[in-house]
Amino acid sequence: MDARLCVMFIAALLIRLVLLCFGVYQDQNLQLKYTDVDYHVFTDASRFITQGQSPYNRSTFRYTPALALILTPNVLLSAHFGKLLFVACDLLSALLLFRLLVLRGASRSSACVCCGLWLFNPLPIGVSTRGNAESLLAVLVLSTLLCLESRRRTSAALLFGLSVHMKIYPFTYALPIALSLAGTPSRGRGPVRNLLRCFSKDLLRFAAVSGSVFFGLNAVFYYVYGWDFLQESYLYHLTRRDIRHNFSPYFYMLYVTAERHWSGALALVCFLPQLLLLSLSSLAFRSDLPFCCFIHTAVFVSFNKVCTSQYFLWYLCLLPLVLPRLTLSLRRGLGLLLLWFVGQALWLSPAYYLEFEDPQRPSKRKQTDRHIYCLVEALMTAVLELKSAEWEQTCLMNIIYTSEGFV
Amino acid sequence: MVRFCLLATALCFINYGNAQEGDCFPSEWFKSLSMSVKISKAGFHRDLEYSVQWSKTHHDVQALLVQKLPSGVYMDEYQLETLRRDTGLEVLLDSKVDLEAPEYLSSGFTALVFLSGKHEVVVPVHGRYHRPSDSSTRVKVDIESPRLLLRSDQCLTVSPGVDHVVVDAPCTVSNHSICSWIEILDLKSNGGVSLEIPVGDSSMTVTVCVVTVLTTVLSCFYLLTNIWKHGSF
Repeated sequence: MDARLCVMFIAALLIRLVLLCFGVYQDQNLQLKYTDVDYHVFTDASRFITQGQSPYNRSTFRYTPALALILTPNVLLSAHFGKLLFVACDLLSALLLFRLLVLRGASRSSACVCCGLWLFNPLPIGVSTRGNAESLLAVLVLSTLLCLESRRRTSAALLFGLSVHMKIYPFTYALPIALSLAGTPSRGRGPVRNLLRCFSKDLLRFAAVSGSVFFGLNAVFYYVYGWDFLQESYLYHLTRRDIRHNFSPYFYMLYVTAERHWSGALALVCFLPQLLLLSLSSLAFRSDLPFCCFIHTAVFVSFNKVCTSQYFLWYLCLLPLVLPRLTLSLRRGLGLLLLWFVGQALWLSPAYYLEFEDPQRPSKRKQTDRHIYCLVEALMTAVLELKSAEWEQTCLMNIIYTSEGFV
Repeated sequence: MVRFCLLATALCFINYGNAQEGDCFPSEWFKSLSMSVKISKAGFHRDLEYSVQWSKTHHDVQALLVQKLPSGVYMDEYQLETLRRDTGLEVLLDSKVDLEAPEYLSSGFTALVFLSGKHEVVVPVHGRYHRPSDSSTRVKVDIESPRLLLRSDQCLTVSPGVDHVVVDAPCTVSNHSICSWIEILDLKSNGGVSLEIPVGDSSMTVTVCVVTVLTTVLSCFYLLTNIWKHGSF
């Protein structure tokens, strides 16, 4: 590991430690707390486990008991253990990114720059120091990709099973992973034989190992915690329809149609774009697994029925991996980044007014105000969707594969 | 004569003793008792500011506010737990309150606010999402005035002139035991408070659905055509 990388890691660690200390100060002295509510949910759930009870006694704990188990030192040692763990996972993700980039053929200097984009990015720094567990999953996803890239398929399968157990969304990577491990069909053989050839030994072994890890862990936790575990860890997320304000373009539609009898059918219709895009992108980009996973996650997050700010980290951890092979000009890239921020600002400013300020003052033109507000909401949805489509389209347009590897 | 003096002295003592007990909550003291409720902040997250004033007495006075809350608002038991650790706020909720359900899927509940020697206390309360309406942009949630319960560790008698009733309620916020409290029925208070919560416009439901679905379908189609063009199959 060269000196430049060392310096970057030390600087990144120092920034995170300073923010952690600042967070402790802010929590103790100011009314607006630095630590996220989720961190308190994890700690409370861990406390229940140390007392021999179910972590699901803590309402809104919708994660695997493994997470509460990992965070038991929060109760037994120090309340800051979890945050330190997430910061360590953050730095580990950067190291995994560096290794992956070098393995995929990037020069050490461009790999350093891409790592810097993760190490000094305020979003992951803020998320980890506030106590969200997203960096834990970033480590699992990146290590799965690293193992696949270096052909350590059994380890990859183990890590993949573990990441799907922690959160459901990596399950969407199953299709591109399966396609990259599948055998290639050849001419001259019948369709049935070709189909059977696709189920190569590698693929079957991968499926067996990751399946046994996933179902094994589920069986253990189901035996200990019962139906609550399945309901809160998985079923809640699959059927979740949050009518409260969030980043999803569907949230307002779900709110106004919440009590209609056809809202179930509507939710199913909204699932179709995700399904179509995920299937087609898996087929189209199976030759470049990290890029495929990136597109998968970006599509999943953009078209999901609920989206909070932590979800952005799911594709952000894969962006440095993808960047070296993009021939996006810096100007275009910065323009798209600006569009992303504008979308965020357009979405968050009415959210702030809705949550913390007085609603519109009564006026004689109540009707017009209401319609204008609704139209603005609809327009913002359109802008958000077009912006994400434009971004992904540009990424796709600028991918150039060369046999040498890099431009 | 001696027997007469002894009887008179005994009667004097008994009278004095009775007068002492009757002084626990005398009627003049109740004239000084007043309660006010205010709601502050804006939006979905508000603070209920209670202020209960009474003049000094020679014994301690424990006050308990029994606040009935409608289904349109909720209190976060975990936030209250944190506040109890940090600022000593003592609030006990009578049932498990769902933090995420909308108003039409929730029910009202009661919060017991223990004043513990303080005269003013601030309790955070949050608005729930209500169903959309086609006639107004906001909905009013009324919070009725709380009931005030009093007790003292040293004595429990009330002057006969005061309109009151004896109620059983938890002694402290830890809810280990039940005590008898006195509820004052004609208390001076400034009435209940209310908050306004914005609601969606249900008359635009079809428009919202059409625009949302159209936008997502068009974006999806746009992405699909690009994937088809640039992917390697």
